[in-house]
Amino acid sequence: MATLTADRKRALRTELEGMLGRGAVLSDPDELLVYESDGLTLFRALADFVVFPQSAEHVSAVVKLAHREGLPFVARGAGTGLSGGCLPAEGGIVLSLMRMNRVLEVDYDNQLAVVEPGLVNLHLSWKVGPKGYYYAPDPSSQQACTIGGNIANNSGGPHTLKYGVTTNHVLGLEVVMPDGEIVWLGGKTRESQGYDLIGVFVGSEGTFGIATKIVVRILKKPQAVKTVLAVFDEVDQASAAVSEIIARGLVPAAVEMIDQLTIGAVEDAFGCGYPRDAAAALLVELDGLAIGIETQAERIVAACRDSGAREVRTAKDEAERQLLWKGRKSAFGAYGRVSPAYMVMDGVIPRTRLPYVLRRVNEIVDAHGLRVGNVFHAGDGNLHPNILYDPRKPGEEARVVAAGAEIMKVCAEVGGSISGEHGIGLEKADFMPFIFSAADLALMQRLKHAFNPQGLCNPGKVFPTRKSCGEAGAVAYRPHAIEEQGLAQRF
Amino acid sequence: MQPAVLEKLRSIVGAPHVLTGVDLSPYVVEGRTPEAAVFPGTVDEVRAVVTLAAESEIPVIAWGGGTAAAAGVAAARAGLVLGLTRLDRVVEHEPGDLTATVEAGRTVAALQATLRERGQWLSLDPPDETRATIGGVFAANASGPRRQLYGTARDLLIGLTVVTAEGAVVRGGGKVVKNVAGYDLPKLFVGSYGTLGIIVECTVKLRPRPDDERLVAVSFDRMKDAGATVRALMASDLIPNAIELLDGASLRALTASAPPAPGAGASAALLVGFDGVPDQVAWQVSELGRLVAATGGRDVREVPAETWPRLARAAAAAFPACAVMRLSVLPTQVADAMEQGGELARGRGMASAWSAHAGVGVVTASLALADGRQDLGVVAAVLREWRGIARGCSGFAVLDTAPLAVKEAVGVWDDAGAAGRIMRRIKEELDPKNVLNPGRFVDSI
Repeated sequence: MATLTADRKRALRTELEGMLGRGAVLSDPDELLVYESDGLTLFRALADFVVFPQSAEHVSAVVKLAHREGLPFVARGAGTGLSGGCLPAEGGIVLSLMRMNRVLEVDYDNQLAVVEPGLVNLHLSWKVGPKGYYYAPDPSSQQACTIGGNIANNSGGPHTLKYGVTTNHVLGLEVVMPDGEIVWLGGKTRESQGYDLIGVFVGSEGTFGIATKIVVRILKKPQAVKTVLAVFDEVDQASAAVSEIIARGLVPAAVEMIDQLTIGAVEDAFGCGYPRDAAAALLVELDGLAIGIETQAERIVAACRDSGAREVRTAKDEAERQLLWKGRKSAFGAYGRVSPAYMVMDGVIPRTRLPYVLRRVNEIVDAHGLRVGNVFHAGDGNLHPNILYDPRKPGEEARVVAAGAEIMKVCAEVGGSISGEHGIGLEKADFMPFIFSAADLALMQRLKHAFNPQGLCNPGKVFPTRKSCGEAGAVAYRPHAIEEQGLAQRF
Repeated sequence: MQPAVLEKLRSIVGAPHVLTGVDLSPYVVEGRTPEAAVFPGTVDEVRAVVTLAAESEIPVIAWGGGTAAAAGVAAARAGLVLGLTRLDRVVEHEPGDLTATVEAGRTVAALQATLRERGQWLSLDPPDETRATIGGVFAANASGPRRQLYGTARDLLIGLTVVTAEGAVVRGGGKVVKNVAGYDLPKLFVGSYGTLGIIVECTVKLRPRPDDERLVAVSFDRMKDAGATVRALMASDLIPNAIELLDGASLRALTASAPPAPGAGASAALLVGFDGVPDQVAWQVSELGRLVAATGGRDVREVPAETWPRLARAAAAAFPACAVMRLSVLPTQVADAMEQGGELARGRGMASAWSAHAGVGVVTASLALADGRQDLGVVAAVLREWRGIARGCSGFAVLDTAPLAVKEAVGVWDDAGAAGRIMRRIKEELDPKNVLNPGRFVDSI
């Protein structure tokens, strides 16, 4: 519900167009609809304006205007987020950063790149790939999601097991603060002085300001990569194998688990070579020096066999490797084959609790009369149970939401977290007390206040509010067209 | 300190755990003696002590092993030392999760010994492992040569418990390796030098101990060639766990303290570490030999493992007394900065020694204050010029060690710019009464 009068809105539109140019401001409700939600369609809200700045100065000017008018504002990248994190408050301004998508500088000798926030994640790896480099954080939506969005959510991906998440790769940020001031946090050097402002800004879900330039590390591509598929007749065996691999002193680049339901969907859709009768499969990737990689692969194979794998095979060539990864990375789209809708959960548990938690997830979903597919980052304990359901059946969506909350509670009970990579946003704001005390949250509020004292910068996110409580349960996930084609997915 | 406050401290932690008078000598920093030192045995006692200190408006200085006690400028009022060494338990180590939770006062060496029993380690190698505590290492963001491959405190700390300035117990992060719930509080406290809260417990990410590790030294006649070698090394397929660059003076200090060491008389040396399975280590050592042959390296030889802990101290060990400055620059600028800095000192008739974690651009420079006869004005002038070098490399420089008069003349911290204002706001939010380690930090926080 916009609080601006029509006159005021017209005047502001003119002012915004004066700053950004015509064609850089939307205020027609039909046009604004595109920006009413992100990848989580459960929540929707309409802004007064969506604007398309092209520079830090543009962003600063818009933010200053919002500040002056007391209007809430939020930055938005590709809108692939899964927690409602980039939704506008009712009214206010959405700053789409999609026109700020340049690679400004690449310094190969110092292994860093300076980019704009609207740059698509994968496009950076494309840019530096010919010289043998890549950008390590690889969220499954990397063909669409932006680096600015990755900063907001501290995004992960399959290969973060070895290489860390976004925060481990950011050296510097030019930030437009919530009052419009342009500030540099960090820079190009590996260290910065004083409090780790980059460390707190990354993952602050757009509530601390808007990053307008980003300095990231780029890594040398590994000399060799080895991908192993291990097939199990019982899920517990696959879970145990994950701990067994770790216990043998190995840190693979990725360890992904795919369960039977998901394998069936993937094979129906793409035929990637996963055995349909397997209870679960592990996709394990090693990378590094060519020499010694065989020795390490043998250890992985032995760990899987000793955990009861009925079959363990190593991808013969790059084509087979790509096919196995396609199966993993396209799972989300493939669910469309087996269910009209699904809701993806994101939780983290200590790796050693995998067998227990996966059993509990199945019990919970069963108890609600639903089905669940699991495909997730097993190596770092980051679960993605996908609850399948039919939105046309009355009450089913509410049961999905209830089951999701119970799964989050289980994650919390075993000492885990309610989000490994999707963020809190609106979706999980009310789950924060599962893992944080009032004192913990109070300190976070103070930190937010230091950056965002007026609270206009992406309000209503991260912290529990009564409002977000009552709104859940309307509409859940629908696959996006690019997911259905297996081009990108959500986790 | 008022006798009544002292009495209350004794009743909180027990009289034997409160030090006063001459017992405070180990806690004197730059001539300033604290009013008391108190050693709580539980988190509840920490919070009671902090609450009492806040009410009584006595500054609280968190103290682990004291290895970074001289960082920054000591507070005008020395206040209350809050020692954490009694909080030294390993709370939990689950090898299958590659995580451990440990109380802040445990030394790094003691933690590593516990982890070693299960074939794991915390991949952080700060100086003085037998004295430095886990909480202190995170509070001071200390690191060592292996940061080349394994990163620093911020990459390893996944959860923590702090006691706030108001005596609240707050947890941030968690015990899972991937976690984006809420703001990243562990990052906030890394390198905060006890100014935002007292770290009482840490949860860290672990790694399996590598099967094999070797450290190889290569000598150079010209610093420039050593610099070019670093560049070539970084662009190669090799994955060193350390790339240490030493100038002649640091090299002599390293050699003097424990022969056999790399070729004496060289004007620069690289010490490069490799770990992994034996095949990988052996291959990399031989590849390194091939690589340096083309860039002017000579005397390639393996040095004993005991050399590792002395690497970071090599520059400071070059002189009986010195000022030590840490410069942060881009990796490709390291060798030039070292050469230029050495010349600037020589130009003013002073000796200096230089070393660097070259692959990450962190340079340590020591300026000899050998006989106490130096004109402090000249010392300050050299240090300012060194800072100028760092700034010219789009970096910054921090004065780690120096006599108080020099610290005051040069400034310990570099200009934090607009970011400094955000830091100040954070400090004001979290410690409004300015109780925690006041005045020590960046921007006079």
